[in-house]
Amino acid sequence: MALVQNFPFLSIILTLSGGVICSVLKGHGARKYSTFVLCTVLIGSLLTLAHVLSTGEAYVYMMGHFPAPWGNEIRVGILETMMAALFSGIMLLSLMGGMHHIFEDTEDTKSNLYFTLVMLLSASLLALVYTNDLFTGYVFVEINTIASCALVMIRYRSGKALVATVRYLFMSLLGSGLFLIGITILYDITGHLLMENIAESVAVLFKTGTYAFPLSVVIVLFSMGLAIKSACFPFHTWLPGAHGNATVSSSSILSGLVLKGYIFLLIKIFYRVIGMEIIFQQRATNVLFIFGVLAMIVGSIKAIQEKDLKRMLAYSSVAQIGYIFLGIGLGTEAGIAAACLHIIVHAITKPMLFTACGGFMDVSGGSKKFSELQGAGLRDKLSGFAFIVGAMSMIGIPFFAGFISKVYLTTSAIETLSLKTVIALAALAISTLLNACYYIPAMLVLFTHPKKEPVSVHPRPKAMSLSLWMFIGLNFLMGCFSQPIVNAVIQGIAMFR
Amino acid sequence: MLGYFLGLVLFPMLSGVLCLVPAFKDDRKRNLFVAAVLGLNFVFVLLSFMQEGAFELLHLTDHLALRFMFDGAGRFFLLLSGLMFLMVGIYSFEYMSHEHNRPRFYLFYLLTLGALNGVCLSGNYMTLYCFFELMSLLSMPLVLHSQTNESIAAAKKYLLYSVFGASLGLGGFFLFTVYGGSTAFVAGGVVADALHHPLQLSSDLLFQRNMLLIGAFLAIVGFGAKAGMMPLHAWLPTAHPVAPACASAVLSGVITKAGVLAILRVVYFLYGSNFLVDTWVQYAWVTLILLTVLVGSTLAYKEKILKKRLAYSSVSQVSYVLFGLAGLNAWSLTGALLHAAAHSMIKDVLFMSAGSIIMHGHTERADRIDGMGRKMPMTFACITVASLGLIGIPPLFGYISKWYLCTGALMTYRNFFSWLGPVVLLISALLTAGYLFTLTINGYLKNETAESDAHEAGALMLLPMVILCALIVICGLAPKLVMQLIEFINTIA
Repeated sequence: MALVQNFPFLSIILTLSGGVICSVLKGHGARKYSTFVLCTVLIGSLLTLAHVLSTGEAYVYMMGHFPAPWGNEIRVGILETMMAALFSGIMLLSLMGGMHHIFEDTEDTKSNLYFTLVMLLSASLLALVYTNDLFTGYVFVEINTIASCALVMIRYRSGKALVATVRYLFMSLLGSGLFLIGITILYDITGHLLMENIAESVAVLFKTGTYAFPLSVVIVLFSMGLAIKSACFPFHTWLPGAHGNATVSSSSILSGLVLKGYIFLLIKIFYRVIGMEIIFQQRATNVLFIFGVLAMIVGSIKAIQEKDLKRMLAYSSVAQIGYIFLGIGLGTEAGIAAACLHIIVHAITKPMLFTACGGFMDVSGGSKKFSELQGAGLRDKLSGFAFIVGAMSMIGIPFFAGFISKVYLTTSAIETLSLKTVIALAALAISTLLNACYYIPAMLVLFTHPKKEPVSVHPRPKAMSLSLWMFIGLNFLMGCFSQPIVNAVIQGIAMFR
Repeated sequence: MLGYFLGLVLFPMLSGVLCLVPAFKDDRKRNLFVAAVLGLNFVFVLLSFMQEGAFELLHLTDHLALRFMFDGAGRFFLLLSGLMFLMVGIYSFEYMSHEHNRPRFYLFYLLTLGALNGVCLSGNYMTLYCFFELMSLLSMPLVLHSQTNESIAAAKKYLLYSVFGASLGLGGFFLFTVYGGSTAFVAGGVVADALHHPLQLSSDLLFQRNMLLIGAFLAIVGFGAKAGMMPLHAWLPTAHPVAPACASAVLSGVITKAGVLAILRVVYFLYGSNFLVDTWVQYAWVTLILLTVLVGSTLAYKEKILKKRLAYSSVSQVSYVLFGLAGLNAWSLTGALLHAAAHSMIKDVLFMSAGSIIMHGHTERADRIDGMGRKMPMTFACITVASLGLIGIPPLFGYISKWYLCTGALMTYRNFFSWLGPVVLLISALLTAGYLFTLTINGYLKNETAESDAHEAGALMLLPMVILCALIVICGLAPKLVMQLIEFINTIA
């Protein structure tokens, strides 16, 4: 066993213990320590990815060599390591981009707790990505829920954030409750919790036709539970409040990563627990498809009506999550690959937009209303540039990341050859237009000279500039040289089987 | 070849960015610089006539390559846009002196030129789409230049129509990649011969054929948005009146032709004229075109605001060009390309004259120019020449192209379109005379109603107008000059 194979497990432990350590450090110490841990995780994940790519096969890692049911297993494949690297990298950039806001928005004595939460969130995301055990998955779903709710709430003296958190908590707990019931029923009819074992028994059950009804209930429970948690339409109502009122880094992390963690878990369950053939026959994907299409349209329309930049971006996330569910809902391997690509694209684009939004707030007296933001793109040129790049990417202009995932979504929709093809193409066309309908007016506001006296501008922190440049670079890289990533995603999905 | 690509696409774009440097705050210096860039661009265009062939610059993914090529069709439109941008550029030096934010105008003017050259050089569907979208985005700031609420709304409308049109084109692209195969442009089309005859096809192949036809229709309607074809024509009359005259001139004279080029590429270089001939796509397309021609002319006839009238006129005239394209044979195509050149020159002259009237005659309305011709004789002389050309009076350029268009229609269609087409074109020509001659008549013959301080435009504004008028006459007398440029059509239709 190569040394680097131990790393995925180590990264979970490192981040979990990081949470504990950050809670006893002072604010700036916690900042340094969590940055260090995230860097380590990023580098380690990339090394693991290189290793898995070179060997070309996934491996299962048993903690302490105890077999189930005593021990716990994680599974490491191409897609898992890619997601781990993506999540830790974006987490790092989001933190860097909103660092000064974190210290402004939290109470002085509690700023270290922010990093505790970030560490716990990273740990749970990594565990969700890697886990091979359904119940471990549930445990970390709960940790993830608590940590992300706290990330919204920690904003100092904000009543709105508190209300949003309570809403978020309710919806999230409902989601994890459904998920837990699903696991219970599945455990009841198969007697296993490890993914491979469940998959074997489910295949047998399906062939013999026993427990057909409970099985469909399980699929519905998993889909609904995780759809609620990932803010799929019509369960999206909590999202704009939570993302719109949190501090900048929290918004970036929540929209870029937390939603994606659940979706990735759903894809993993579809492939590794239930089996894709059964999912397609159960038509569970059709429901997700319809939700996805509706989310794309409704999210965009809501975004058009919004007068607040951050809430607009949050509604845009609803629409983008719709794209991902549309890909999953197509019910083909190509569709899932396109959905995974869109996960990556949205994860590198939306945090950039939120970070840029933080930059605009700095130069507009802290307001995020369009009326106050006039000319903000001219006062903070780098944020303005990043916003243009992000908006172009979300609309789907060539050379930007968003174009690539849209190309794959569309081609996979065309190859499906059913009623879904027509609906998906129409939805993609309409939502592209709607995206343009709110990003372009937003840009026009940001780049027109304001009539009022400009607010005093304090210099942009270096960390934020660096993070914005990295985001912009990533976006262009993904837009122009995406073939290796696409290949890896397709290979990674093939590995799920 | 890479050198020519860089010279034609990146050089104007980088020079555009240079317009913002502090050294060019001074108008004189910046104008000289812009003139030099436009001149050099024109030289590059002429030099590129020695190039032939294609190359791939970059692969976005394995199936999406950026491919550029130098061929007859691209060169024809390169020459057209190079010439028009040079002429309008010279005109703008004086015209822009009463507008604000001049460096920004030239930034986007040159960026648009670069993107337009990119459209002309595109060697596959993907590249065409990229540069098309780029051109829409970069030309939007030209429309919203004055930044009044009206112009911002117009710019949004322009962009939405363009983005929606281009995304329809993108839909056509996806259908073609899935059902048609390689999307690199090849003269004569790349669709397999087996698909050409619907009666002998198995159900699978018939399905494939139908999907390809849908793709073709999507692309035609989508790219038709830029060419002002119904149902996506409405941006033109909104965007043109609010933009500065020089921006309207390039928008209507050149950028609408980019839509024409895109359709030409898709129809003749991807699907092939033999595949589309006698299909529902051709008939639906021609129906849309004839409707556009008629509606455009009628609305122009009723319109009182000068630039809006010219915009409606563009809607109808660019559809003449499309009418030639839809003929799907060499004769009609000759007419189409000749009319593309004729309309570019004529509409540029008309918009530039409209700019002079707005700037020096202080009115935007076509019914307030009574007697102005005596104070601005050169401007009105140019309007007269251009109007005669657009109506199609021999021996001016517009006559030749319309002759090819009408005879082409008579030869092409085997059903009622063969007489309906020419009849619609004739009615529209009559309406054209109605809305353009009134300008000359009112300007020269009527007496002034009120004292105005109108006076003739300066030399820099008149020079390009006169040059283009001379070209209209020369090309009308010796159409062979232009015909030599479009000999490539024998290989594609």
